[in-house]
Amino acid sequence: MFERIKYLAIKEFIQTFRDRRRRILLIISPLIQLFLFGYVATLDVDNVSTALLDLDRSQESRELVRRLEASGYFTITSLPASQREIGYLLDKGEVLVAIRINRGFSKDIKRHAAPAGLQVLVDGTDSNSALIAMSHVAMIVERFSQDLALPATVSAAQTDFRTRVWYNPDLRSRNFLLPGVIALITLLTCLMTTSMAVVREREVGTIEQLMVTPIRPLELVVAKMSPSAAIGFGQMILVTAVGVLWFHVPIKGSLPFLFLCTGVYLLSILGIGLFISTISKTQQQAMMASFFFFQPTVLLSGFATPIENMPLGFQYITYFSPLRYFLVIVRGIFLKGVGMDVLWPQVLALLLLGIAIFAVSAMRFKKRLA
Amino acid sequence: MSPLRIKAIAHKEWIQVRRDHLSLAMAFLLPVILLLIYAYAITFDVNNILMAVYDQDKSSVSRELVAQFTESGYFTTVAYPDSYTQIDRYLDSDSARVALVIPFDFSKNIRTGRRSSVEVLLDGSNSNTATIALGYITGIAGQFSRRQASSPIPPVIDLRNRVWYNPELKSRNFVIPGLIALIMSVIVSVLTSLTIAREWDRGTMEQLISTPVKPAELVIGKLIPYFLIGFADTALCVLISAFLLGVPLRGSIFLLFAASAIFLTGGLSFGVLISAATRNQLFASMLGMLTSFLPSFLLSGFVFSIANMPAPLRVVTYAVPARYFVSILKGIFLKGIGMRFLALEMALLSLYGAVVFILACRKLKKRIE
Amino acid sequence: MQKPEPAVDVHELSRTFGSFTAVDKISLQVAKGEIFGFLGPNGAGKSTTIRMLCGLLMPTGGGGTVGGYDIRTEPEAVKNIIGYMSQKFSLYDDLTVEENINFFGGVYRVPKEKKDSRKAWVLAMAGIEDKKGLLTGTLPTGFKQRLALGCALLHEPPVLFLDEPTSGVDPLSRRGFWNLIREMAESGTTIFVTTHHMEEADYCDRLALIYKGQIIAEGAPMELRRNYMKRDILEIETERTVEALEVLFKNGIDSAIFGSALHATVEDAGISAPRIRHMLESSGIAVERIDKVVPSLEDVFVTLIEAS
Repeated sequence: MFERIKYLAIKEFIQTFRDRRRRILLIISPLIQLFLFGYVATLDVDNVSTALLDLDRSQESRELVRRLEASGYFTITSLPASQREIGYLLDKGEVLVAIRINRGFSKDIKRHAAPAGLQVLVDGTDSNSALIAMSHVAMIVERFSQDLALPATVSAAQTDFRTRVWYNPDLRSRNFLLPGVIALITLLTCLMTTSMAVVREREVGTIEQLMVTPIRPLELVVAKMSPSAAIGFGQMILVTAVGVLWFHVPIKGSLPFLFLCTGVYLLSILGIGLFISTISKTQQQAMMASFFFFQPTVLLSGFATPIENMPLGFQYITYFSPLRYFLVIVRGIFLKGVGMDVLWPQVLALLLLGIAIFAVSAMRFKKRLA
Repeated sequence: MSPLRIKAIAHKEWIQVRRDHLSLAMAFLLPVILLLIYAYAITFDVNNILMAVYDQDKSSVSRELVAQFTESGYFTTVAYPDSYTQIDRYLDSDSARVALVIPFDFSKNIRTGRRSSVEVLLDGSNSNTATIALGYITGIAGQFSRRQASSPIPPVIDLRNRVWYNPELKSRNFVIPGLIALIMSVIVSVLTSLTIAREWDRGTMEQLISTPVKPAELVIGKLIPYFLIGFADTALCVLISAFLLGVPLRGSIFLLFAASAIFLTGGLSFGVLISAATRNQLFASMLGMLTSFLPSFLLSGFVFSIANMPAPLRVVTYAVPARYFVSILKGIFLKGIGMRFLALEMALLSLYGAVVFILACRKLKKRIE
Repeated sequence: MQKPEPAVDVHELSRTFGSFTAVDKISLQVAKGEIFGFLGPNGAGKSTTIRMLCGLLMPTGGGGTVGGYDIRTEPEAVKNIIGYMSQKFSLYDDLTVEENINFFGGVYRVPKEKKDSRKAWVLAMAGIEDKKGLLTGTLPTGFKQRLALGCALLHEPPVLFLDEPTSGVDPLSRRGFWNLIREMAESGTTIFVTTHHMEEADYCDRLALIYKGQIIAEGAPMELRRNYMKRDILEIETERTVEALEVLFKNGIDSAIFGSALHATVEDAGISAPRIRHMLESSGIAVERIDKVVPSLEDVFVTLIEAS
């Protein structure tokens, strides 16, 4: 049996890697995705275009503006002269944030009679950036407030809140997203490669040729998976290497463990690819089905948005997504440096899911051939 | 150019598309499912931050502090660990994202008017939620401090936030308009990038190029049925967004559909271009995904803002048609702006469509080489 | 009286793919209304030649005209006046018979008045009137072949190019097919056919034998037999064909297996027949029959190849 699988697998490898263009694409594709994700996919808000309308022009107002700019989060790009101009700038999308300091700002601060007024307008179309921008403003203003407070009130019962950030102290979203990208890249490539490889054989007609030989369906399945599995591992290694060496994503955990978990993950993915191949008659359908499965899966996996923020119903659905578990594993290995002792529930879930998917798909495959 | 030939080709393509039930179903189902997921499941709202509380003081004041966190609506207490090691476990395993450590002399210090400190540990791996959480914590912390002072101190600066266009900051409103652009990019790419490569694979292309048909006729003929499907899909998405999901539609629907038509033409032509250039289905599909889905997802301003990208990439985004479509969609849906502000985007989108169409016609050689 | 212009006229036509020469300076002419056969084994350059003539492939050397139009500079004009049936009978499997006909009719711009009559003609010619609603992919090969031929003829082109039209088709269908070709030639269509079935050569008016990209012989079937076959062919039937072959070979006699018999090429049949009989019988091989036969084109071909 292993003999037959070996020869079949060799044929599959030759067919997959023969085309030079394809070989190049298989390497370039994940690299491009990695670079795009690495440089683009940032939810961080830095150097936000800000409009400033300072009607007070006092030492205090200038100090506030200095602090805002010094934080690195805001860059004053326009100095509108009126509220209407602010409106125009926001409409055109030229600024994300507009700050309006009213006349009397410094007087109010010095007198400590009433709170000094500061108005911040945020373009809410991008609600995420808006929230983060507002977060930054709040923190800067709070700091400024504390510094301006009367010394008398300072020594009074003051509660210091010391925050410490674990695992990703610079709070770079890249570190959060890139390990997930590994999972993503392998997912789509393996799905498409597996499903289309099987369907292609059916479309071209050579599958009949194979079926009259002593080959058993399961052997055919394993052989067909082998190039995809190899590609999956290869891409994982490539992406990890580039991510760590070029983007300086920390990797605190164990590499062999990452390898092992990738293998378990691939079990599910290849199983799904196999399933897709049993419902598609043409390569076009296989491609569409791969996409069809890929997009919702990624969205519901916690890749960009945490699962705990989703409505309960959707949270239950995510239990069936292999990507959900793999993401936790991958992030755990890269950012937290944890191993099997903490991640065993995820690994177990991934394993069970993988076996189940593979079994169902293999059975369907066998039936299709009969 | 012969309308009769174009009609014949469009008709044949239409028959083939109609008979492919699976693809057709997916073409219409995928947008609906994606819209629903984005609308209901994807939220950048951060309002369920899991918190572990290590309360060494266990006094009424410390409980008050915890209550302030939970009452804000943003935090949910999930555990009461008794040691740092336990906190480790919670944060390590993603069971909690924030840990609050209240020292044993907390209430004593507050009563005697001395400084006290509370430790907040944040899981920074999801930097996005962590940053937002930090903002909330800062606000809550400041409030608590001032309230605990012997005489409540008014804040020095009264920060008044106003959010324009999307006052409730509903992620949905932010995401959906751009999502329509993304969905359409994917659909058109999948629909057309295989169409010509498939005919080469099957041998019917050789037959076709031995006839007097002109490349432009072939491209137009192939575009027509997919255009109709794409347009119907877009209309479906817009309807669902506006009526089912409640995304405000403040601008002109006519302009919306005009922009969609232009975008679709460009996207479909691009798919045909890839198909004609690669002549191989698997290769075409991978190339199609790489050049349409990825740029539309990452470089169009859909989720990741263009302003935050490094300069070279920002230049690249000018070549991504989805970028213009996303601006137009967001502008029409949320801002209610019209041609006055969108004229440039419309023009660029049209230019892109025309260029790609011409390239596709050129690349479709009536030769076997 | 001036000779009428040939329908196909090529001069030193060549095509290379990298370092490989597929077609090497081919020159030939096909008269109007002629059935011209292009024979040769697989890989000889037949398909490449036909594709160049149809304007599907650009020649790398030489040139020619089809129907008066230059294949290099006016390929689209050529496509207007030809019908082409590719090797794979490429019809749309997911379209019905009728839909395929409608499609090609539209592409060739068959005039409205003629649409229905042409469609009826194709259906009748192919014998698939009752099948017009069936998906083309479900048709047996013989019907597909005739349907493909019909689709290539919808616009009544003066020149027809058929690339291996009978591959994979049973002999009965093949014969019926050639009858059709004959009918069309008689009504004035010029037909250029490629095939590797030597026995079909006799259906053609004129032939060209092509081997390794070069024409090694040209003429009417009978002509070829007469001119190129200076020697005689003896057909030998024995029980032990392979052993007999070895014996003849050892004695320096050119022979080859032909079906279940041997064909030996000799200078004079009358002299050689008894000699061969003696040769075999003295080796212990019983000879059932030795006869002089008319050389088949395959014999001609093999001889020519060995000579080149």
